[in-house]
Amino acid sequence: MTTAFTKLHAGLLAAILALVPMTQASAKTPADQLIVGMSMVNLFSIDPANAPGLDASGVNANLYDTLVKRDQGNPEQHLPQLAERWTISDDGKQITFHLRQDVKFHSGNPLTAEDVAWSLYRVMKLNFGLATTWKAYGYNVDNIQSLIRASDAHTLVIDLPQTMDPLLLIDSLAISPSAVVIDRKTALAHEKNNDLGANWLVTNEAGSGPFVLSKWTANDSLLLTRFDGYWGGAAKLKRVVVRHMTESQSLRLMLERGDLDLAYGMAAPDIRAIDGSEKIHVQSLPRGTMYYVALSMKQPEFANPKVREAVRNLIDYKGLDEQVMPYYGQLNQQPMQLSLAARLPDPGYRMDVAKAKKLLAEAGYPDGFSTTIRTLSEPPFIDIAARLQATLAEGGIKASIVNGTGNQVYGAMRARNFDIIVARGAERYPHPYFSLRTFAYNPNNSDDAGLPNFQGWRASFFSPQLNSLIDQAGVERDAGQRLNLYHQAQNIYDEQVGPIMMISQMTDTVVSAADVKGFAGDDAEATRYLGVYKQR
Amino acid sequence: MFVMTASAMGARASNTARRASTVLVTLLGLLALTFIIGRVMPLDPVLAVVGPDADSSTYDQVYRAMGLDKPIWTQFGLYLNDLLHGNFGNALLTGHPVLDDIRRVFPATIELATLAILFGVLIGLPLGVCAASNQGRLGDHVARVITLFGYSTPIFWLGMMGLLVFYAWLGWAGGAGRIDLAYDGMVPEVTGLLLIDSSLAGDWEAFASALRHIVLPALILGLNSVAYISRMTRSFMLEQLSQEYIITARVKGLSRRQVVWGHAFRNILVQLLTVVALAYGSLLEGAVLIETVFAWPGFGQYLTSSLMLGDMNAVMGCVLVIGLIFVALNLISDALYKVFDPRTR
Repeated sequence: MTTAFTKLHAGLLAAILALVPMTQASAKTPADQLIVGMSMVNLFSIDPANAPGLDASGVNANLYDTLVKRDQGNPEQHLPQLAERWTISDDGKQITFHLRQDVKFHSGNPLTAEDVAWSLYRVMKLNFGLATTWKAYGYNVDNIQSLIRASDAHTLVIDLPQTMDPLLLIDSLAISPSAVVIDRKTALAHEKNNDLGANWLVTNEAGSGPFVLSKWTANDSLLLTRFDGYWGGAAKLKRVVVRHMTESQSLRLMLERGDLDLAYGMAAPDIRAIDGSEKIHVQSLPRGTMYYVALSMKQPEFANPKVREAVRNLIDYKGLDEQVMPYYGQLNQQPMQLSLAARLPDPGYRMDVAKAKKLLAEAGYPDGFSTTIRTLSEPPFIDIAARLQATLAEGGIKASIVNGTGNQVYGAMRARNFDIIVARGAERYPHPYFSLRTFAYNPNNSDDAGLPNFQGWRASFFSPQLNSLIDQAGVERDAGQRLNLYHQAQNIYDEQVGPIMMISQMTDTVVSAADVKGFAGDDAEATRYLGVYKQR
Repeated sequence: MFVMTASAMGARASNTARRASTVLVTLLGLLALTFIIGRVMPLDPVLAVVGPDADSSTYDQVYRAMGLDKPIWTQFGLYLNDLLHGNFGNALLTGHPVLDDIRRVFPATIELATLAILFGVLIGLPLGVCAASNQGRLGDHVARVITLFGYSTPIFWLGMMGLLVFYAWLGWAGGAGRIDLAYDGMVPEVTGLLLIDSSLAGDWEAFASALRHIVLPALILGLNSVAYISRMTRSFMLEQLSQEYIITARVKGLSRRQVVWGHAFRNILVQLLTVVALAYGSLLEGAVLIETVFAWPGFGQYLTSSLMLGDMNAVMGCVLVIGLIFVALNLISDALYKVFDPRTR
């Protein structure tokens, strides 16, 4: 008893001594571990068939592999991953992938072509949001098993169900979060009620990537441990620890104290405050997602192209880019991402109140009109909306702001129930065809068509001319002719004053300790920690 | 004699039954109200699952799978039926049963709120007594400034300032989270309360780390309780100190201290029990801001995230737990009334 008390006493004393001030701010995180701080609020499923969010893609990129990856961000050039090589048939209707033979899943099971085919079948069978990617090519749950199949253990044959440029499909295999390969045996070992392991894979993994998921407690922490048997060579870091932190200033303080190595999602004022410090490295990763102002052409005012053009002249592109968007995005006025060769230069839209007033008068609204702007109640959306409200007022358009959560804003847009929306979204992966398809394509403009996956349908924008051009680009295999079609489409979108007006292309600002090296973004918005290390 | 005992027992049984039915009706009403609010809220849980770019067939499939195509009362009935079988449903956010989630996040909040209320009681009670017994004098003014500060300063701001000064500048406090990441997952979980679990494991380094992390958020969280408890104590004490029995006691020659602590304070204990119980209940369900600033993986954060997602299984589970907390605290304070106030026996 006495001994126990003595121990307790000594222990408490040691604990109290440990509370003595420690004021050094040098790096305290272990050299072989990366400590990451970020909000995990949107991370609630890592099932590749149902993990559409950016955060989930970031996690899965480290747990799983894809067949191929993009070469230097070029959507028409790809590099081997699980597939060592591939061939496209002369008629462009069949792609044959030859897989590496030395790949093992984390379970120890060998990775085969059967796993690849089953993973894609699983996406269609479960039919969550990410199945949309494959539906666009004509796949469905009934035909996918016959069209995507293993001809032997390491050969995968993919038939295209409709005439399409096969490079589009290869690119989707490189970047879609649902294109990763799942260990079929492990997933099916956890199957319940024929769910193909869906319930289990929400919080567990069955991949072959450079890291293994050791622990994940929602809204608390996530632990990735190095997979020593990785086919591409083991990662330099032993562990990646992600802690759920939503408060930007807490992230900043922990970075400055050396308790964090890397932070995602910091607010612009906090980044600005530490940008330039020798101990901190601020990195902007370009993303494919666009910030835009969308007008609903269901509203009689916005159905009039002169009114849309007036609104375009009341957007302060320059002011937004210089004062609101630093650390959030980069000026982009085209419905196509900045990095793409097919993208035309910005048309040079700028704020011109006199021109806007003239256009409004010509359209029959000399005194303007009243409308609403829906947006998310967080920066930069609310700041863009407030500025837009002010500049619209200069032209005589009285707009009230209705703010809410992403769910509320995008829900209204999907239901075609809005006037103006300031939002962000659409095609995450820079690709001319998919960008145009997302913003300018709308095969059926009726409410009953229910095509909320097309932003054009959401805004009730219907242009048969653009539909036809985009369809042609999707099947055209001649690179020069394809480029010409993409250029034409952008010019027509400009002439017809498309109601989804791009203002900026998203950048994700990542702040890290200066000794963290080898961290870089990629096109799949999914940074791998494979090559990350600390230089100490 | 026998008849008397039977009658007393009958009265007690009827009292218990009445109380149990009141609790049940309260909880049922609470659940029905939350369910209806959840359904009329402009939040779409389907979108949270399928993502904003899903097509209609995917959306409709998940909508049906979540049972949202059924009439609202059918949905509520099915939910109650599951509840009676001990099934709170699965949370969207975590994919785990809601009950498991609550069991996981609750200890973090209990640990934080308990330390905060201890702080609130240890500082708030003497402060309130001091203010009342020095009414209009320096002690009263100091107490008023402290309580005004506790009431009016946003807890979010205090949290940030606390982190800046005591964590970033002085290095006295731990940063965000319950424990340094080096100890994360290293303490065997017994109660879920890190201070207790690390003591039980004899891991004093982990204990010190957990203590460094909890002291600051607990003090800041407790500051509001200090304000509330001290104001209420002052008010109760002033009422007692103006009573005739106090004057009699003074005339009899008792010291000021004996009068204040031995007579007046003893008589307000019963009222204070309710105040402390309610303050503790609010801390358990309302620590969300401090949990956000300190990245504290507790109940408040879980409830808020679930609300933002429109995850009704999780929200309903949390509401039920909050209801039960207040019912339990009321029952405990009622029981303690009987200990401290002989008239209620």
